[in-house]
Amino acid sequence: MKNTRFDPTTLEIYRALFTSVAEEMGVALRRTAFSPNIKERRDYSCAVFDARGRVIAQGDHMPVHLGSMPMAVAAALNEIKFAPGDVVALNDPFAGGTHLPDVTLVTPVVKGTRILFYVANRAHHADIGGATPGSMGLATDIYGEGIRIPPIRLVRNGVLDGDTMRLLLANVRGNVERRGDFDAQIGSLHTGAARLLEIVERRGEREAATYATQLIDYSARLMRHTIAAIPDGVYEAEDALDDDGITDEPVRLAVRVSVRGNGAVVDFTGSAPQVTGAINAVEAITVSAVSYVFRCLVGGEVPASAGLMEPIEVIAPPGTVVNANPPASVAGGNVETSQRIVDVLFKALAQALPDRIPAASQGTMNNLTIGGIDTRNGQEFSYYETVAGGMGARPSLDGMSGVHTHMTNSLNTPAEALEYAYPLRVREYRLRRGSGGTGKQRGGDGVIREIETLVPARMSLLADRRRRGPYGLHGGADGKTGTNKINGRDIAAKSSHELKAGDRIRLETPGGGGLGS
Amino acid sequence: MGKSTGAHTGKPIRVGVDTGGTFTDFVYDQNGQIQLFKVPSTPADPSLAIRHGLEKICLKMKIQLADIEVVHGTTVGTNALLQRRGARTALITTRGFEDVLVIGRQARPELYNLNAVKPPPLVSDELRFGIAERVVASGEILQALDENELGDLVQRLKRENVESVAVSLLFSFLHPQHEERVAQALATLKIPLSLSSQILPEYREYERTSTVVINAYLQPLMGRYLSRLTENKEHSSKFSLRVMQSSGGSISAEMAAVEPVRTILSGPSGGVVGALRAARSARLENIITFDMGGTSTDVALCDKGAIRTTNEAIVAGLPVAVSVMDIHTVGAGGGSIARVDEGGSLRVGPESAGADPGPACYGRSLLPTVTDAHVVLGHFGGGGLLGGEFKLDAARAHEAIKQLASHLSRVSGKRVSVVAAAEGILSVANTNMERALRHISVERGHDPRQFALLPFGGAGGLHAVELARALRVPLVIAPPAPGALSAVGVMVADVIKDQSRTVMFANDPKQIARLGKVFADMEREAAAVLRAEGFARSQQRHERALAMRYRGQSFELEIRDTSGDIAARFHRAHRERYGYAQEQSEIEIVSARLRSFGVVPKLPVAKVSVSRGVAKPHDNAVAYFGKKLNVHVYRRDELSGNVKLKTPCIVTEYSATTLIPADTRARVDQFGNILIEL
Repeated sequence: MKNTRFDPTTLEIYRALFTSVAEEMGVALRRTAFSPNIKERRDYSCAVFDARGRVIAQGDHMPVHLGSMPMAVAAALNEIKFAPGDVVALNDPFAGGTHLPDVTLVTPVVKGTRILFYVANRAHHADIGGATPGSMGLATDIYGEGIRIPPIRLVRNGVLDGDTMRLLLANVRGNVERRGDFDAQIGSLHTGAARLLEIVERRGEREAATYATQLIDYSARLMRHTIAAIPDGVYEAEDALDDDGITDEPVRLAVRVSVRGNGAVVDFTGSAPQVTGAINAVEAITVSAVSYVFRCLVGGEVPASAGLMEPIEVIAPPGTVVNANPPASVAGGNVETSQRIVDVLFKALAQALPDRIPAASQGTMNNLTIGGIDTRNGQEFSYYETVAGGMGARPSLDGMSGVHTHMTNSLNTPAEALEYAYPLRVREYRLRRGSGGTGKQRGGDGVIREIETLVPARMSLLADRRRRGPYGLHGGADGKTGTNKINGRDIAAKSSHELKAGDRIRLETPGGGGLGS
Repeated sequence: MGKSTGAHTGKPIRVGVDTGGTFTDFVYDQNGQIQLFKVPSTPADPSLAIRHGLEKICLKMKIQLADIEVVHGTTVGTNALLQRRGARTALITTRGFEDVLVIGRQARPELYNLNAVKPPPLVSDELRFGIAERVVASGEILQALDENELGDLVQRLKRENVESVAVSLLFSFLHPQHEERVAQALATLKIPLSLSSQILPEYREYERTSTVVINAYLQPLMGRYLSRLTENKEHSSKFSLRVMQSSGGSISAEMAAVEPVRTILSGPSGGVVGALRAARSARLENIITFDMGGTSTDVALCDKGAIRTTNEAIVAGLPVAVSVMDIHTVGAGGGSIARVDEGGSLRVGPESAGADPGPACYGRSLLPTVTDAHVVLGHFGGGGLLGGEFKLDAARAHEAIKQLASHLSRVSGKRVSVVAAAEGILSVANTNMERALRHISVERGHDPRQFALLPFGGAGGLHAVELARALRVPLVIAPPAPGALSAVGVMVADVIKDQSRTVMFANDPKQIARLGKVFADMEREAAAVLRAEGFARSQQRHERALAMRYRGQSFELEIRDTSGDIAARFHRAHRERYGYAQEQSEIEIVSARLRSFGVVPKLPVAKVSVSRGVAKPHDNAVAYFGKKLNVHVYRRDELSGNVKLKTPCIVTEYSATTLIPADTRARVDQFGNILIEL
């Protein structure tokens, strides 16, 4: 197929058409979902795949889903022989998933009996069972993290499998909301399928299939063009997560990037063996982080198709923290380790592209959960949020202050909204001045967020970059490490605590690294 | 500024002025007939062109400026914001929250752009001041305002030479007294103040603060501009002046000077009001407006005659949370540049040739644009623009597209003709615009088959029928004088005053009962304002609405009928919009909103002279409509009402061109609208 000729106009039209299918699926999902995490924080992604299961378009949703969605569909195709009207669900990190709360649904787009495309969506469910509400606690194996769903048919031939659904709902908290979110995901798949069939009807089946392949080739060409601009060579770097929350040992990440011509090999050999704490990443996350980094290098719009990763080989040795084996716990791999993989990869590439690569950004998502009983109405509450930090300095620009970087981009909860919704009070929310690393270009500043609980509550924190700051580049200083305190006393970055009314949690998030001297 | 002489009496001559583009458009009412003309704009000081145009009207009508009542659609606020030319503004917040303006919602603007930047804040670090005070969600005072701090603050602001001050304290909408006390202390500075409890008494501190800061940033400039406009040294006479708001209604110049943030989408909203008026003349209530200009395209949807508004607009990268018409803008227009990217795809826009150097056919560049593609395909019917005043350089357009065609040939490995390249540009441009139209229709639960597409702006008519076909819209309505629609809309718009209060009530009878008082207070305030603008009680109308949600949600749905069982209404609205309702869940009434109208007498749409049969073409031309054809060229001003047009054809007029392909039926109605059935 490589050498088939294409029409540049038709190619551009399909780029827009397939992307708009993914975007419309996202709108449908957001409109109909129940949970705030999907509706407001927008923690979901939608994508379109060709008949062979290769991704051809993906909405601009969550970067961390970018490279991992294709593996979910591959896993589904591997396990299931799809019939028209089937919807397959999965979340097993060891079979196409990332961490358990992210549930992926896949369905074929069928004309007559022929499968023309697949559509899939992934949503972060607010709870998927396990020991702690929100399923983001510090379990030491996957079984403690929630219910594990290998690729299974949730809908057969257009009919929901009631038994399967009951089994799922019996294992999660807030099952009315869960059920609603599953329905929304199924509805979004139907939206995507209908839209694709409309395109096929309008433009013809053969052309649509041809240009699905052409889009993959197109992304591959753009990526090759990008890699060709990187000087040939071998670039190595190391970085580490502070600890796994169980022991105090740093968790090493190593990468060796070999660039030759228009191809690259990204080899994580030398990274730490998988750990007991919940920061293990599965291979899908590592691939996601790699594709995020290289997509940033392309610049401009490029379809997130399978072609993007064609020129790139990822080596993630099994049994390590970047490709954990079951039954490792993985909740934090998606949110914390993914960030460090980005950091170490950019650090290596900075040697090759000193004029383009930024210094390290905060490198954590500062996941904070507070739950308890709201005495104003006697109801349970559960507040989850990630807190922004400093972005690393860019070669010709300072880093941005107080933003989410790299693998996430979710919104904050306004103080006034938070105080209406929960028995909590925001005491301070400001930039953490001087936390960005100094240099010719300054790293962005982190954020100070202090929250007081008005009732007894239980809180968990999952954060990193508390022992070593985000690195500076080319003589720029490191960003300041983050700090975590309850009533002025330091607490561990990965820990849970009982709070009494009036207690104050204060997070000071890391600044970005500086660049140049 | 001129005291209103009473819009409702019908005595003064009403004039609509839109300063949006290269030309300033004027429309006025001469004995029930709308007259229109253009004057070249004076971007450095738009008031010069306005003065010039008004004098023309005075001469022609033999009247004084004082006899004129102007309604003005202005871009002064938007431009100042885009170019960061506003005032040196200070911001006062609750201590600990000085940086909310910078942090925003903590999201970065572009996911995969390592060089993305946030728009710089309108208030620099050293001009944001926190003061000790705190009100909490129950409305109680946790920490009283420290009066002693205020004196120091005034001195500090004086030293800093600030030109305006925004005040946005936490939960100020529950307890405005702290902001009011600050305002009293700052009164000695004698500079404009904007209080969040007055401009936008609604919750969500970032969006509220952003809105009030924009207001303060624009206040001095807007005040100067509007007084310069009405108080000219050479003319002692003043005229009455109103300003179009982003919401689709006008406000007095005095109010616009105090709350300029409400005028930020002044021009585009005039266009939608004008479009809806034209549609109504053809008895259409469901329309999608399509305003395609040189660099951008604005689309909006009117459902059953109601123009959608939103409180979540983003202008120049900054949230504006006052009521704004829900207009979606894409960076695609006649000037969008076509190029072949590194992967071999034909891209069109978002880069634009603008007005200078402009498309290749303007004679100053070789940039292949959408307009050049139309030139190559003969879509202007052989004439130029602006009724032939503006000549198009067809040879240059051809040359520019030819270069693109040879690039396309190289990439695709087969010969691409100039015509094929031009057609390719239009297909890609249409695909981009189709996405914008789907965004405001399909993605919001509207079926395009139940709407008519109404193109305006210079290039709208060139693309409308093709887009309607793609979206299965059955009817295109091309109103007369599409270039002046915005000025017409500005002239006929009602006076509107929007108010809102965050109340955060539960759905219980005691709290619901309190809503009555909240609305009554707002109505009293609005009635006084409208009376001062010359509207008697009988010419006022007040529309109540509630922003509601399920407890725990963080977005609201607006419910327009606030009588009877509001819970049932909310469940129903939720089901319609989102496909489900949670009837067991608790409901919250987040805000009470009041929209008050001063109803301006309607100007009937004038009928055109009618004849029968098939219209006589002005000319014939060779043009490409998928294939090379010899088609009729009609001149709009030669078309009488009730005639049919022979398709395919091209209709040219002063400021626009309409393409009508084969397989359509086209006729002119008695108001001069061209109706194209697909």
